[in-house]
Amino acid sequence: MIIAARKNETFKRRFFSSVRLAASYVIAIALMAHSSWAQHMHPPPQSAGPVIGAAAIPFELKTLEGKSAGLETFRGKPLVINFFASWCDPCREEMPLINELSAKAGGRYQVLGIAVEDTRAAVIEYAKEARLVFPIALDLNSTVKRAYRIFGPPATFFIDGQGIIRDVVLGPITSTRVKEAIQKVGIQR
Amino acid sequence: MRILGSHQRSLAFYLIAFFLLAACGASRSPRSKMQGTAALAFGPEIYLGTLQANPSTPFLRYSPDGRLFAVWTEDHDKLWPTGKPHPDQGAKGGDRMISPMRNALIASSSDGGKTWTAAKRVNSGVEAVQGEENGPKLAFDRSGRIFAVWSIPGVKGDKTRANIRFAMTDGKGGFTAARTLNEVKDAGRFPIIETMPDGNLLVAWIDRRIDNPKPRQLHLMKMDFRGQALTKNYQVGDGLCECCKLGIVFADGGKTVYMVDREVDANKIRNHVLRKSTDSGATFGVPTEISNDGWQVPSCPHSGPSIGRDSRGQLHVSWFTQGRSEAEAGIYYSASKDGGKTFAPRTMIHANTAPETLYNNLIVGDDDKVYFAWSNLDAGNRAQIYMRTLAADGRSWSPIQQISNAKGNASRAALALKQNLLHVAWTETDGEDSRVVLRSAEVAR
Repeated sequence: MIIAARKNETFKRRFFSSVRLAASYVIAIALMAHSSWAQHMHPPPQSAGPVIGAAAIPFELKTLEGKSAGLETFRGKPLVINFFASWCDPCREEMPLINELSAKAGGRYQVLGIAVEDTRAAVIEYAKEARLVFPIALDLNSTVKRAYRIFGPPATFFIDGQGIIRDVVLGPITSTRVKEAIQKVGIQR
Repeated sequence: MRILGSHQRSLAFYLIAFFLLAACGASRSPRSKMQGTAALAFGPEIYLGTLQANPSTPFLRYSPDGRLFAVWTEDHDKLWPTGKPHPDQGAKGGDRMISPMRNALIASSSDGGKTWTAAKRVNSGVEAVQGEENGPKLAFDRSGRIFAVWSIPGVKGDKTRANIRFAMTDGKGGFTAARTLNEVKDAGRFPIIETMPDGNLLVAWIDRRIDNPKPRQLHLMKMDFRGQALTKNYQVGDGLCECCKLGIVFADGGKTVYMVDREVDANKIRNHVLRKSTDSGATFGVPTEISNDGWQVPSCPHSGPSIGRDSRGQLHVSWFTQGRSEAEAGIYYSASKDGGKTFAPRTMIHANTAPETLYNNLIVGDDDKVYFAWSNLDAGNRAQIYMRTLAADGRSWSPIQQISNAKGNASRAALALKQNLLHVAWTETDGEDSRVVLRSAEVAR
């Protein structure tokens, strides 16, 4: 009787141990499957983008003339980076302001245009047509656009001489916003 | 761990099997309907055009005689004269000149996309034929005439103040001289052309002849099979987003015309709408909002919606939106079963991996399956082309499959479908180079 009860106890223990083991496997497999599916439907977000008050993300591009246009190239003076495209309506609307900003720099700060989702020929043509007076870099593979998390052009970043982002304008900029933003990077007009 | 007895091992095995099946069932309950269609088996990549001329922006369409046609753009190849100093450093006579001029090229395939005829130029003059979302489009009539529309920059080179160009086959193996369709110059972009069931042509574009108040208007015009205008340009809508493609489908023998576009309101909220005409496109009713995505964006997203209609009359629409937050961003789908009066709540097809505009297209088979192609970023942060199929039941989705392997970026997939043969073409760019890639797959019916 006692032996039978012990056997029964042992069986129960083993039975529940098997159940726990099986359940663990099932849960692990289900979690892995769900995680894989979720990652496909909702891929993990990319690394954080630029933040006001933080260092600008380094990049290395070439200008239309083939000169280096990396972030380090401009260190020491405030830098205004304008992301644009030749096909973009709001970019064309704001471009006279960006051009004027560059024309009035007088060596106190620099303006860099970064052309996104565009071709060299189209950008050269646009630069001629719009009489752009600032250097233009080509982001042909969209690497800088993605690093700066630019959804669609235009977007303008105001970076101080130490490489810290002080203001960002997504979408077309206005003269009021230009005034505000350049003050934040220490430029007096 | 103690070794289990054979009785217990069997019990454990059955328990594991039971729980596995139960778990699969449970985890699939929301997604079982999404796995009902198998992934497609695509053939090898085929490249269209002359690689050195940077082919880009393909558009595919079957002609009534069963040939697959493709139109795309290429650099207008102009060489710098020998002996004349070249303005670019290090370049010399005989080198290709950097030029914004691009041609529209057309070719056809009689064997389901395996081999192609030599490409012919569509634009008779040298023009800066625009590409990307604004690329050339084709239509056919029953007798095999080919009609093409494209956009060129305005007189000052401004792409946003552009012109709609039209040409058709001349009966001698070439194309007629192109002419401009927009009566007010430097006002039109993003043209599409469709052959109506009565054989006439309907051309639509985004127009900015009325520059204030912004934003843009929707203009149409009709032509006959000779390319002669049946109407003047006429406005059928306004409030359009300034930079994205349109879509058209017909019903009731052409009496009903459905159009999709993206609207933008005064607060720069961009939602997609369906416009319906019941008088063959002469007038359109109040647009129906397909989904209230609340996407507020002041910049240029440059990615329009896509529409198809199945044999039951259901309308299928796909689009890209960022929604109200980055977490919502992605490609979405909805359908209307009541002729566009209402749309089902949106279904996400694929989420964004980054704040990146994704380009999408869909096509509907004669068995009512819907095929979607779009771009999204891969693990290496490169844009690739992805596909998915929705079965005729409207619930069973195939898994998402990546069909490109671009070194740089792949975008703007175009689709064509004939019975059981599906074709997808797209542009791959890598630095300054681009190419047009085509892949085909047999689809189950």
